[in-house]
Amino acid sequence: MVDLTAGPTAVPRPRVPRGALRRPERGRWVGGVASGVAAHLGLPLGGVRVAFVVATLVGGVGVVLYVFWWLTVPPGDPWEVAAASRPSNLARLAGRPGGDDEHPRGRRWPVTDIAVGVLLVVVAGVLVAVRTDRLDAGWVLPLLVVLAGAALAWSQLDEVARGRWRSRAGGRTPVSVVRLLGGVVIAGVGVLLLVGRATGPGVDAATFVQSVVASLAVLAGVALVVAPWWLRLWRALADERAARARESERADIAAHLHDSVLQTLALIRARADDPAEVARMARAQERELREWLYDDRPAPGTSLAAALRDVVAEVEDSRSGPGGEPVAVDTVVVGDRVPDEATAALLQATREALVNAVVHGRPPVSLYLEVGAAEVEVFVKDRGDGFDPEAVSPDRFGVRESILGRVRRRGGTATVTSRPGQGTEVHLAMPFAPSAPADPSNVTPTGPGTGVPLSAGAQAPTEEES
Amino acid sequence: MTQDVPQVPDRIAGSAGPDAVDVVLVDDHHLFRTGVRASLDERVRVVGEAAGVDEAVRVVHELRPPVVLLDVHLPGGDGGGGAEVIRACADVPGTRFLALSVSDAAEDVVAVIRAGARGYVTKAIDGNALSDAVRRVADGDAVFSPRLAGFVLDAFGAAAGDVATGDDELDRLSAREREVMRLIARGYTYREVAGELFISIKTVETHVSAVLRKLQLSNRNELTRWAAARRLL
Repeated sequence: MVDLTAGPTAVPRPRVPRGALRRPERGRWVGGVASGVAAHLGLPLGGVRVAFVVATLVGGVGVVLYVFWWLTVPPGDPWEVAAASRPSNLARLAGRPGGDDEHPRGRRWPVTDIAVGVLLVVVAGVLVAVRTDRLDAGWVLPLLVVLAGAALAWSQLDEVARGRWRSRAGGRTPVSVVRLLGGVVIAGVGVLLLVGRATGPGVDAATFVQSVVASLAVLAGVALVVAPWWLRLWRALADERAARARESERADIAAHLHDSVLQTLALIRARADDPAEVARMARAQERELREWLYDDRPAPGTSLAAALRDVVAEVEDSRSGPGGEPVAVDTVVVGDRVPDEATAALLQATREALVNAVVHGRPPVSLYLEVGAAEVEVFVKDRGDGFDPEAVSPDRFGVRESILGRVRRRGGTATVTSRPGQGTEVHLAMPFAPSAPADPSNVTPTGPGTGVPLSAGAQAPTEEES
Repeated sequence: MTQDVPQVPDRIAGSAGPDAVDVVLVDDHHLFRTGVRASLDERVRVVGEAAGVDEAVRVVHELRPPVVLLDVHLPGGDGGGGAEVIRACADVPGTRFLALSVSDAAEDVVAVIRAGARGYVTKAIDGNALSDAVRRVADGDAVFSPRLAGFVLDAFGAAAGDVATGDDELDRLSAREREVMRLIARGYTYREVAGELFISIKTVETHVSAVLRKLQLSNRNELTRWAAARRLL
C-alpha cells in the first residue's frame, strides 16, 4: 500500500498552511482517511499510509483507528474548508451555492464499497485466526456476517454525508434505504447465529425464540427512549439548514442593494440639482431592480425578450428627448424565442426606431414586440407632432432608411405611419425563416422621395417602404 | 412600512368638481398616497385612504365608494393583498376596484383581475390618465394598460393566432378582441383604437369588458397553469 504518487491534496499550497481535518474525495483509496490526516498534519501521504498498514499488523490498531476516523471525520476538501473558515469580515457576503460541484468527482464507482467489504472481511479473518487459534469455523461465519452487515449499513452513512455535501438535497434515495435495511437484516442474522452458537446446539427452540423476543424488546425500549432526543436533533439540523439558506439569501439581497441601489441613491443626492440626470438614474435603477425582482433571468443568448430589454435600456440611458429630458420607453413583449441573425437585424432596426422616437418624437414612447406563429413583429410609437411623409427631409429619410433597409435586407417588411398631430408609428415584421426567398416587392429599390403612399382610407398619409 | 391611521378628509375640500367620482385610495406607502392624491384632477375626489388589508375592508364597507384604487401588495389580513380586499368587499354593491401596482409580475396581475378588479394600471401612469381610468371604471368599463393587454395576448395564445370562432368561447379571444388588445399593447388610447378600427369608443369598451370577463372566468390552461404554479387558486 505504499504510494509514491501523492494525491492532489498532498501538494503543498502556500496560501493556507494547513488543511482542516477532512476526508478528501480526490486521490483517496478507501475512505480518504490517510489523505485527510496527511493533509491536516502536513505529513507525506505515503508515510501515513504505511503507518496505517504497520499499525494494522500490530494488533489491528491501524484498522480500528482508520474505521474510527472514517466514521467521525466528515468528508470534504481540507483546503477548501480551511479557506472557508476565514474571518467573516473578510469573506464574501453571499456564499457560492453548489460551488463544490465544480470539482471533478474522484471515485464514483462502487469500488470503495467493495474494497471496504473485502478489507473488513480479510482483517476480521486475520484477527480471528491470529487471536484464537482454537476457535472453530462456526464462530467465524456469524462474525463475518455481522461485520458485513455493519459495513453495509455504515457505508450508507458515508454515502448520505457525501450526498449532502454534494447537493444539500439529503440522502433519502431508495438505494440508500435498501442498503440500510439490508445491513440491519444481515447484521441481525449474524447476531442470531452468534447467539445460537453461544447457547449451544442443545438449546430448544422455545428458549431461543424467547431470547430473540427479549432482545428485540430491549432494542425497542432503547429506541423509545432515544427517539425524542434523536427527533430533536433532526429538527435542529433541519432548522439550522433552513436558517442558513435564509441567511445566504439575505446576504445576497444585501449585497445587491448595497452594490446598486445605495450607490444610485448616493449619486442622486449628489446630483440633486440636475433633474434630468436624476430622473435618468432613477429610471435605470428601477429597471435594474425590476429585472432583479421579477424576471427569470434567462441565460444570455436564449431570449429575444431579454435582448430587447437590453436594447431599451441602452436607448433610455444614452438618449434624451428634444428638451434634454430622459424618456422612458413603455415596453410590452408577448412571446419569446431564441434570437438569430434575422432577429438581430430586427433589434438593430428597433433600436434605430426607438432612438428616432425618443429624440424626435414626444413621450410616451411605446414599444410592442410580438412573437407570432410565423413572424416577429415590432411596433414603435411616439406621440410627437408627426410629419407629412411627402414632405420628409432627406436626412430624416436617411435615418428611416437605416431602420427599414436593415429589415428589408433580411426579408422582412417595414412601414412608417405618421399623421400630423398624432405621432409616428414604425411597424417592423420579420418572418421566422430568413433563408426563404425575399418577397420581390421587398427588394424594389426606393430612392429618396419615391416612397409609395398607401391611400387606404384613414391610413391616409402613410408611407409604405416595402 | 408603518400602518397609517386612515385619513378621511373633508369631502368639500380639494379642487374636486361637482360631479367628481369618489374614490378610496388603498396603499401601504403614505408617500405614494400623497402623490396620487396630488396628481388626480378635478374629476376625482379622494374620500378615504387605507394602508392595509383590514383597514381597507373596513373603510370600503363604511364609505361604499364607487371606485377603490387598490395596491396589489398590501400588509395585513391573511396575506392575500389586494385580491383579499376585493373578495372581502364582494358584499358591497356598486363598488368597483382598479388595481394599481409597481409589479410587472404576471401572477400579481392575474390574481387581482381574477379576484374581480375592473382593471390594472401601473404606478408609472400620469395623473390625467389615472383620472381617466377612474372615470372609466366608475362607468362600469374595464381599464387595460398596454402591459395588461400584453399579458392577455400571451396568456390566451392570441399572438400565435389562436383565435375564437364563436362568440361564447371563454378560452380564446375573438379576432376583433385580439385586434383591440394588440392596439392597446402598442400604446393606443381607446379613442385611437376606435379610430383605427372604424368603431365607436363604446364598442371598444365593450370588447375590452368582454376580454376582462374572459380573463376572470376562463379555465384556459395557461391561466390555470400560471396561477397554479404560484398557488393562487
